[in-house]
Amino acid sequence: MAVVSESLPVPVKPVVSPWNPANAVTASRFLTLPFFVWAVDQGYHQWATLFMLACGLLDKLDGLVARIFNCRSAFGELFDAITDALCYGFGLVIVAAYGWAPAIPVIGVITLGIANTVMRAIYVKRAGRTTNYKSYAMERLVAYTGYLIGFATAGFEVTFFYWLFLPVMVTILAYDTKRMLIDPIPEAS
Amino acid sequence: MTDPMTELQFKWFLTLLTGGVSFVWFIFDARKLLRLRGASSADPSVRDQRFGYIMGLVIATIGVVGSAKYQGWI
Repeated sequence: MAVVSESLPVPVKPVVSPWNPANAVTASRFLTLPFFVWAVDQGYHQWATLFMLACGLLDKLDGLVARIFNCRSAFGELFDAITDALCYGFGLVIVAAYGWAPAIPVIGVITLGIANTVMRAIYVKRAGRTTNYKSYAMERLVAYTGYLIGFATAGFEVTFFYWLFLPVMVTILAYDTKRMLIDPIPEAS
Repeated sequence: MTDPMTELQFKWFLTLLTGGVSFVWFIFDARKLLRLRGASSADPSVRDQRFGYIMGLVIATIGVVGSAKYQGWI
């Protein structure tokens, strides 16, 4: 005789494939980089600014696509953060290499960025699952980083924006370091 | 290859893209910060939001001041 369970069905979270429209938009950001390098190499300041702007707008678009297609995932959030780091890190190296941005702040930003990436990896290890460290302050700083590259390509108050970025980044990183390495990790939602 | 904008258009495009966005950002984060007034700081999520919005205000102020400097207003 079959035993029929009377308990309510446990809601199962849908498994989201990593091959989804939102991640495709995130990945497409890398396509702007060759055009960006070409524009910088040719000395086309306006075009370089517009290609970096396209990269930044795609960053905003992927979240919207994820909501529309209901394909938000922990992997997608992590992929987005990694893409931010690679695209903006690469952009900063290029503008500094071509002398469009001061080298010392760029070295500082990249060093702090690498430190942040390492701490995120430690955070994931502490959590024991694929998770993205959520930081309201860092979200705002990432937007500022995207702007930094545009400031360099456009010659827009470069010294002012680059040197003020460093103390802001140090402050946010110090706060986030405590959260990532010391504070308890919230349960998976 | 020609530039897509004139010098003057590009200057104003940058000012609006930076100063304009920063100004709107400042208003948004200030409103969000005000909404958190009554929330308890014992909640880590509230603390993170509060810190994030304050940093947002700092960054937005830098954006507005930098744009004003670029235009020669200060």
